[in-house]
Amino acid sequence: MDFLFSYIALAEVYVLLGLSTNLLVGIAGIFSVSQAAVFGVGAYIVAQCLMTETMGFVPAMLVASLACIALNVLVTLPSLRVSGDYFVVTSFGIQLLATAVFINWTQGTGGANGLPGIPPPDLFGFALESNLHLVMLTTVAVALGCLAFRLIMRAPFGRLLRAIREDELAVAAAGKGVLQAKVSAAALAGAFAGSAGGLYATFLSFIDPVSFDLDASILLLTMVVVGGARTLAGSIIGPFLLLALPQVLTFIDIPTTIAASARQLIYGVLLIAFMLFRPQGLAGEKL
Amino acid sequence: MLALQLLVNGLVTGSALGLVAISFSLIYSTTKIFHVAHAGVYTMAGYVAWSLASRGAPDIVTLAVTVAASMAMGAFIQHQLYARLERRRATPLVVLIASLGALAVMQNVIAAIYSPNILQFPVPWGSKMVVLGGVRLTWTQILTVIASLAAYGATIWFFHRTILGKQIRAVASNPFLAEITRLYPQRVYVIVVAIGSAIVALPGILVPLDLGLQPYSGVTPLLTATIAMIAGGIGSITGSFVIAIGIAVLQNLSLLVIPGEWSIGITFFIFVIFMLFRPTGLFAAAR
Repeated sequence: MDFLFSYIALAEVYVLLGLSTNLLVGIAGIFSVSQAAVFGVGAYIVAQCLMTETMGFVPAMLVASLACIALNVLVTLPSLRVSGDYFVVTSFGIQLLATAVFINWTQGTGGANGLPGIPPPDLFGFALESNLHLVMLTTVAVALGCLAFRLIMRAPFGRLLRAIREDELAVAAAGKGVLQAKVSAAALAGAFAGSAGGLYATFLSFIDPVSFDLDASILLLTMVVVGGARTLAGSIIGPFLLLALPQVLTFIDIPTTIAASARQLIYGVLLIAFMLFRPQGLAGEKL
Repeated sequence: MLALQLLVNGLVTGSALGLVAISFSLIYSTTKIFHVAHAGVYTMAGYVAWSLASRGAPDIVTLAVTVAASMAMGAFIQHQLYARLERRRATPLVVLIASLGALAVMQNVIAAIYSPNILQFPVPWGSKMVVLGGVRLTWTQILTVIASLAAYGATIWFFHRTILGKQIRAVASNPFLAEITRLYPQRVYVIVVAIGSAIVALPGILVPLDLGLQPYSGVTPLLTATIAMIAGGIGSITGSFVIAIGIAVLQNLSLLVIPGEWSIGITFFIFVIFMLFRPTGLFAAAR
């Protein structure tokens, strides 16, 4: 039962991340491999706030979300002003830079050893320690995230984003601010990824740089690609399926030394296969 | 004295990086595809060369087979992946995701076969030292500079003096018009990616001769090379080569003040400066 709970809670954290990646990649059409970096920034901020006891869980989550919004705005504003391919370079750069910071800034992040002993989240003075409570917390968070995603999709802003993905020039000709809309989408994606990071840190009570590297970003992209772009169902199916994959792999007898590469290899194959044969994913719209 | 040594080291790394930048720039300016999987071809070249060298193949055979293998891999990716996606009118985002998938596949196949640990080349002459005016250089480093300058010169000659080179430039500047004159853009794209992959095989062998091989080490040089390409002006071979050397020299000189693990930060800082003040690059062709 405990195993099931932790699987669900972890998958729900990744659903939040999937929503974030879907907003950026699926809806706004901006390719990004720095989602894991933003996720990591959120996780480390919440971990530090709780470990130094400077503030409670809820304000720490707010701080993390705001920091990730600021990070994404700072990153997208100069590069998207020029062109989409400049943002590809920027997002690779941010991802590698963030990994360097997570590994080398030992004071703030614990370096390669990570940060152990992150206290459990507390809501209004009530500490959530058992796995059941944590699952309830992540479920509430995911429900809120899904609601927000749905509202955004149906709002004029969501239509604007989809229009930009279809034809940027036409939207600009209609007098809409293309750059502004894209940066706002990135900011929203930052808020989602940052709060997912906070939940991840408090749920696992241990974080290390491996969870937030380039491979993690590729995994997030694979989740959205497999699930499907621009739909709620897609953002939910992708994480649940792909997080079950390592468990399935343990049934097949492969040496532990190559288990990690085998997993990443499968993500790569999935990315290529879905792009070639089913760009809309399992339950999404055409990318 | 240390500064002089670092300057020379920068020139050596820079000339190898320059070749990565040239090859990426050729592919990008012609096909308009952000060929992330190029980092995989670069890594693969090193491992092919290592396998041959450690089985005692003569150096010239190793070089020839490695270059041929890289060309074949590059042409395969263009012909079987990018051309297929192009026929389905895939968006640049879809092509980019597929390319990232190809990179993940190549890196992890290599990691599964050769283990993710560092491998050293079994070449005894490579690490022999020469002292020139107080600067210590290995034979590998001297060879790197000579080979890079020769490859740079050959590329310039090829694109300005041969028919095929001119045809490629014609397709790069306007594929639609080129098609009218009985050039087949898709065929030219395969040739260009093959040539780019052949060029990138050189640094792919020479850099690991000095520093050793690792399956995931291709992304950072590729990122630095794309930054050099953008800062040098997209489409300018000389621009990307010169700026790549400049970036490597700056990175090495920065070691005097900042520890080496932050060098990615220096590279990225240069990119942000260019993006803000001169997004078309230094050597951009007049439009």
